[in-house]
Amino acid sequence: MPRRKAEIDKDAAKEAVIGYCLKKGALAAGVADMDAVNRICPPGYRPADIMPRVKSVIALGVGGQTQGAWTVPAKALGYFGSTETRAYSISYGLAFYIENKFGLRSIYCPPDMDPDAGPRVPLQSLKVHAELAGIGARSLAGDILLHPDYGYMYFASVFTELELEPDAPLADNPCPAPSCVNMYRAIKRTPCMKFCPVQCLDGEVDEETGRQKIMRYDMAACAEMTQQYETVPSAIMDAIRATDEEDREDALFDPDNKMLWYKMSVGSGGLLAQCFECMRVCPVATQAPQADPILRHEHRLVPEAAE
Amino acid sequence: MARGLNRRQIGVTEEMMATFGEIVLRMSHNHQIREGDPYREKDWDAIERHREMMGLSDAEIAERIGLSRNQVLYIRTLMERRRFRTGHYARLLELGGGKRFRTERFTPHLDHFRYSEDALELRAAMNYPPDRARDYVEKGWWRNETQRRYLERNAAERPDAPAFVLPDRTLTWKELRDTAERVARGLWQLGLRPGDVVALQLPNIPEFAIANLAVTWFGGVVQTIHMPYRDAELQTLINHGRSRAIVCMGAAKDWSAAGAALEMQPQLPTLKHVIAVGETPDGAIPFAGLVAGDPDMEIGHEPSGADPHLLLYTSGTTSSPKGVPLNSHNMLSNARMSAPEKGLTADDRILSAAPFTHLYGLYAFHLGIVTGMANLLLPAFSPPALAGAIEEMKPTAVWFAPAHAAAMTAAGLIGKHDFGSMKMCLFAGSSSPPAMLHALQEAWPGCRVCQLWGMTELQAGMFTRPEDGIGKSAVFAGRASPGSTVRVADPETGEERPRGEEGEIQIRGPMVFPGYLRNREANETAFTTDRFFKSGDLGYMDEDGFVAITGRIKDIINRGGVKFNPQDIENLLSAHPAIQMAAVAPVPHDVLGEQACAWIQLNPGAEAPDLETLCAFLMEHRIARNKLPEKLVVVDEFPMTPTRKIVKGRLKAPAD
Ligand code: SF4
Ligand code: SF4
Repeated sequence: MPRRKAEIDKDAAKEAVIGYCLKKGALAAGVADMDAVNRICPPGYRPADIMPRVKSVIALGVGGQTQGAWTVPAKALGYFGSTETRAYSISYGLAFYIENKFGLRSIYCPPDMDPDAGPRVPLQSLKVHAELAGIGARSLAGDILLHPDYGYMYFASVFTELELEPDAPLADNPCPAPSCVNMYRAIKRTPCMKFCPVQCLDGEVDEETGRQKIMRYDMAACAEMTQQYETVPSAIMDAIRATDEEDREDALFDPDNKMLWYKMSVGSGGLLAQCFECMRVCPVATQAPQADPILRHEHRLVPEAAE
Repeated sequence: MARGLNRRQIGVTEEMMATFGEIVLRMSHNHQIREGDPYREKDWDAIERHREMMGLSDAEIAERIGLSRNQVLYIRTLMERRRFRTGHYARLLELGGGKRFRTERFTPHLDHFRYSEDALELRAAMNYPPDRARDYVEKGWWRNETQRRYLERNAAERPDAPAFVLPDRTLTWKELRDTAERVARGLWQLGLRPGDVVALQLPNIPEFAIANLAVTWFGGVVQTIHMPYRDAELQTLINHGRSRAIVCMGAAKDWSAAGAALEMQPQLPTLKHVIAVGETPDGAIPFAGLVAGDPDMEIGHEPSGADPHLLLYTSGTTSSPKGVPLNSHNMLSNARMSAPEKGLTADDRILSAAPFTHLYGLYAFHLGIVTGMANLLLPAFSPPALAGAIEEMKPTAVWFAPAHAAAMTAAGLIGKHDFGSMKMCLFAGSSSPPAMLHALQEAWPGCRVCQLWGMTELQAGMFTRPEDGIGKSAVFAGRASPGSTVRVADPETGEERPRGEEGEIQIRGPMVFPGYLRNREANETAFTTDRFFKSGDLGYMDEDGFVAITGRIKDIINRGGVKFNPQDIENLLSAHPAIQMAAVAPVPHDVLGEQACAWIQLNPGAEAPDLETLCAFLMEHRIARNKLPEKLVVVDEFPMTPTRKIVKGRLKAPAD
C-alpha cells in the first residue's frame, strides 16, 4: 500500500471518492454519518464490528432495471442479478482506489448474511448506510429505499479509514408519489400494497399531507415469496418423509423442485430470491426522472459529455 | 447446529421451542411496523420506540426473554423452517407484462382444482402402449386437437355459417361457440371440473351439440345414453361411469328422463346434478338457465388432445358394462384424416340418421367439427321423416344404417322424394345387403354409395371411398381408414388368414380405444399381444385389402360340433319377397347342443311363409342342409339398437 499522505484535504478526498463512483457507473453516492449508523444498528451490526478502525461509510447505488425489464412478464427477468453485481464491483474498485490514492485501508462491505446468525440476518445494513448517506428514503414497500431522481437502486457500501464529511439524509421522501396518494384516498391502498402477490404490505398515508404515516410489512410472508432457500431443505425433508413413492419423486424431481437444483447447481442466486412486484408497480421505481436510462442519459450523461 | 454447537450442547429442547418459538419469531421479524419516517429524520426517540416493532437482533431477543443468544438463533431458524410455506414463488410466473396480482382474482395454487379420484381413474385408463403413441405422434396423427379448438376456429373463420340445423332453427358456429362457452361456465359454476363425467341422454337436437361442446370446453367427459334407455339402463350406466351430472329431456311422450334420474338419485351416489332440457321437474336444473350463464365465471382449464373426452358404452344391459373411454387423439384424428378421403369439406352438409348417442352418429358430429361443415339434424328416425329431411334440408352426405334404407324402400319412399342433393352416403351398423346397395346406387346416380365398418371402440375403422365404386361398396365394408392396419386372423390361433378366407377382423390404429374402463376381464381378451383390437367380427379380405363382413364370432352356431356362420342364411332370407328383415341365431338343443332358429319380420301386408317353404327357398340357393334353420319365429318388430341393428340377445326363443 502506498505510504499514507501526510495531509489529506477532506473536501478534495470526498470529491474524488464520489467522482470515482459516478464515473464508474453509480447513479448516486454519499457518506453516511457514522454516529447515526452506530445509534441505529444494534451491537454486532455496526461498521466497527467488522472493521475496528473504520472512519467512514460510503454508500453508492446503481440503476435498477430498464423500462423493458419492468414491463416484460416477471418470469422472463427473474434474474436481476447483474445489477447488484455492478454495485459490488464499483464498491470493490472504490476500496482499491482509496487505498491507492490515499494510503488508507478500505474494505468493500460484504453484502452477505451474518454467518453467526444464519440467513435472513445481514452482516451490515446497506439500507441504513444508503439512507443516512442521503441516496435513498424508506418507502411503504417494506422499507425498500427509493430516490426521487433515480427511483429504485441497488446499493453497496465501502468502509474506510479515510475520514470524510458525512452527507445528510434526503430532505424529502419521494414515497408515496402523488398518484399513490390519490389511489390511497380512493381505496385506502397504494399500488405496492394492492399488487403484492402475498399481500404482505400494508400501511397508512396521511391524507392531508400526503406523507407516510405507518408502514407495515410482513417480512416473513415476503421471504416466503422471494427466498427459496427454505424450499431446498424442505424438499429434501418432504422426500425423506414421503410414504408414497410418487410423492417422494415429486419432492425431488417435479419441475418446480428440479428447477431449484438447477438454480443451485449454476449458482444463480437471483433466481432463488426475487419478486419485486411492488417495484414493478411503483411509479417512483419505474418513472422517476432518471429511472429510465434514456432520460438518465439526457439528464446527466449528455451534459457531462458536453463539458 | 448453531455456531458449531448442536441442540444438546446449547440446551434447546422441543419443549423450549414450543414455549418460546412463537415469541422469538414475533420479536425477530415477524411483523414490522414503522411509524412516520424516523430514520431519515434522525428522530432518535422514535427510533428507540420503534426498535422492537422493526424486529430485534438475536442478542436483543435473548436479553428480553432470558435465553442465550445461541438458543434464540437456534429456535428462530428452526421455527422459520417449520413455519414458512414454500412454493409461493410460482405466483410470479403468472405476473408481469401488464398482469398484476389481484387478491380477488387469485386462487392459491393449493386451492386449484385437482382431478377427482374417479377422474384420475378414467385418465389412468387412457393407457396406450408407448410404441403406438410414439408412432402416432411421430406421424402427426395424434396432435393437440380438441373439440374446443375446432369450435373456436370455426367460429372465427366462418362465424355465420350454419353449424347445426333443424328445418326451423339454425345455430351458426359463432352462436354455438358462444352458447357452449356460457353453458360451460354454468356447468363450472355447478362445481363440475375437468375429468368429471356428464351423461347426455338427448336426441339429435341443437342442445346435444351445445351440451357436448360445453362439457368438453372445460375438459369434462361426455357419456352418451341412448334415447330408448329407461331406469335400469340409466342406473347401470351412471353408476359405472360415475357420472356427476346428466343432461336429459325434462319430459318426453311417455317418460321423463330427468324425473327418473331425480327419483333414482339416492341409488346414484356420484350423480349430483340433473339438468333438464325443456320442461323442468322440481329438483332439476333448467338447461335454459345454464345457457343464460354467468359471464364473469372464469374457467381455469383448457383440455388437451390426450385428455379423455368421451365415455361410451357398448351395452347398457349387462352386469359388467363395457365402458369405452376415448380421447380427442382417437376421435378427432380419425375424423380429420378420413374427411378428405370421403371428399368432405366445410362446404358440405351432413345428415346422420343415426343418433349422436352412438359413435356412428358422433362420427358425423366429429366430421362437422373438424371440417366446419353443417350438421343437419333429424331428432327421431321414421322413414318419412328421414326422406322428408333429405328432400327439405338437402344434405350432401348422409349416414344411414341399412335398416333405415330398408324401411324407406319398404315404404316406397325412394322414388317419391328428391334425394338429389346427396353426393355421397354411408351405410354402417350391420352388414348391408348388396342387392339393396346396388338398387340405391341405381336410384341415386349422383350419389356415391359407400360402406363403413366401425365400432364403439374405434369410430371409423374401415370404409369404402367414393371412387371405389359400387362394385366394391356393395360387397365390402371397406378398406383400412387412414392410419389403421386391418388384418383377418384365425380367432383361435391368432394366425393371419390368407386373402379370401374367413377369420376375425383385427385392427390397430390411432383411433382405437385404450381398453375398457374398470373391466379387467374384458381387457384381458380385447387385444392381441401386438396390440390389435379383436373386433369379434368375422370377415375376409380381398387382394386389394377390402374386407367383407360375414358375421359375429359369438353368433356362430355350433350344431353338434359343426360350426357355421348364419349370416349368409340371413342375407338370403332378407331377400325373400315376403320378408323385410331376418335374423338367425342359435337356440339350445338337448342332443346337438345348439340348433339354428330364424326370426323374420314381414313386409307390410305380406303373408308369413312356413319353415318348410323357407327351407325350400334356401335350398334353391344351394345352402348346405345342416345350415337350414330348424325353428321359425315371426316377429311384429325386431328389437333394434339405436343404429338400427337387430339385438339378437333380445330375441325370444320359441316356446318348445
Ligand atoms: S418483494 Fe414481492 S413479496 Fe416482497 S413486498 Fe415486494 S411485492 Fe411483496
Ligand atoms: S408504489 Fe412506490 S411510491 Fe407508491 S406507495 Fe408504494 S413504494 Fe411508495
